[in-house]
Amino acid sequence: MKVNHWTLARRVVQLTVIGLLLTPCLGWGLFQGNLQSASLLGLKLSDPLAALQVLLLTGTVALPLLGGALLVLGGYGLLGGKTFCGWVCPLGLVTDVFEYLPSTRQLRIWPLRGKMIALLVVLLLSLTLKIPAFETISPIGIVSRALSFGPASDLLLVAAILLVEVLLVRRFWCRSLCPLGGFYSLAGRVSPLRIGYRAEACTHCDRCRRSCFVFEVLDAPLVEGTSHVVSGECTRCGACLDACPTGALNMRFQHPLK
Amino acid sequence: MSEERRRAVITGVRAALTGAAAGYLLLRSGSGYAWLLRPPGAVEEQEFLRKCIRCGRCAQSCLYRAVDMGRLDAGIALGTPVIRARKNPCRLCADLPCVKACPSGALDPQLQDAVKTRIGTAVLVERQECLSLKGLRCEVCYRTCPLLDKAITIENYLNARTGRHAIFEPVVHKEHCTGCGICEQACVLDRPAIVVGPLQPPSESLYEG
Ligand code: SF4
Ligand code: SF4
Ligand code: SF4
Ligand code: SF4
Repeated sequence: MKVNHWTLARRVVQLTVIGLLLTPCLGWGLFQGNLQSASLLGLKLSDPLAALQVLLLTGTVALPLLGGALLVLGGYGLLGGKTFCGWVCPLGLVTDVFEYLPSTRQLRIWPLRGKMIALLVVLLLSLTLKIPAFETISPIGIVSRALSFGPASDLLLVAAILLVEVLLVRRFWCRSLCPLGGFYSLAGRVSPLRIGYRAEACTHCDRCRRSCFVFEVLDAPLVEGTSHVVSGECTRCGACLDACPTGALNMRFQHPLK
Repeated sequence: MSEERRRAVITGVRAALTGAAAGYLLLRSGSGYAWLLRPPGAVEEQEFLRKCIRCGRCAQSCLYRAVDMGRLDAGIALGTPVIRARKNPCRLCADLPCVKACPSGALDPQLQDAVKTRIGTAVLVERQECLSLKGLRCEVCYRTCPLLDKAITIENYLNARTGRHAIFEPVVHKEHCTGCGICEQACVLDRPAIVVGPLQPPSESLYEG
């Protein structure tokens, strides 16, 4: 049987994150918080989009929040931006797993661009509601809260997303609606970690595109012949690497803007 | 703009607006609380709602698990930390781990001394029910208050009804009361006579649940 190394590695990382989110109730002190802000072995990490909303609302950001946010932004900037989506986000894992239902492949899709609009809407909404709007309704926050404080009524929101994704629009949340995904796609655009492409090895079997939930990003190498995936929408999940039978794709560091 | 692109943008706008509207309605419909008791050091409520990034670290750092996280029923305060004093009040830990854990300044790190906490103030809302005011020597709130004889004192006077007994009335002193809610939890009545309310003049309907 063929082992999907990248997917396997990714599941291990995703499950580790879930495990960490579960630990605060054990009182180990290894991990505290959620993906909005956390302390991991004493290292302070924070969500840069959360910091941005607070900045818009109050004109300042407390130093611990700012420091953690810059660290995380720098980290993901280096490692591919939407690597957060592919490797870390617990909602990403859940929706990813639901895509194993074969019927989801027949559903229609929405354009990727929706996320940028959602990001703008969320920032405007923060200003009008006077709360960090995405942090308040974030289904990622809700999943984390369910893990560390026990499930509650707010999981309905997550259930609604899953329902739409298995019945109506394929992966609509992560593809088209998640403001955080939109935010990280900006970092992904300038990140040096890329999926590289060797045209001479490619047989155009299209398996990579079928394995990728943001398959549009593979058009640049496959159709336009670029040497790598250009779009910031790529989550560096490695599904295409697992799918490619000829080794025409690879994961590599390179000058980000070439 | 190409036709395809135009359509894509329209779908995106529609999706985002639907989501935003749904979220807004969801939150609005749920904001049914008169007020919420926050962890120690919490800045003024409007400011708190702007600053808190809903990370839950204050709640996770509380050894007594006194801090709960607002769920759907908290409306606009979804995901923010709340103390339900009747169930589990704040114990005013000397080292204030909740304040230390907060990354956003929603819990003000300037607060170093737990007894200087001002998250609310206790009020004897149901005077007619208070056992002490009925002439018994209950005084449980007084005895459990961590700032005994400061935040609550006992004022005694003649029971005018009998003309020969004394009333020992628990009286809260706002300037010393931290709002921890230990008295609210301790009150022996089914519906506590003493309840923590906001620092501003409270209304009658503070106790919920
Ligand atoms: S798009 Fe959003 S929900 Fe999906 S994986 Fe990325 S951050 Fe998570
Ligand atoms: S002071 Fe102690 S008991 Fe009170 S909320 Fe903070 S950690 Fe919990
Ligand atoms: S630690 Fe601070 S930012 Fe996080 S939930 Fe508590 S009050 Fe909000
Ligand atoms: S809330 Fe009650 S127990 Fe706490 S300081 Fe005030 S009077 Fe004392």
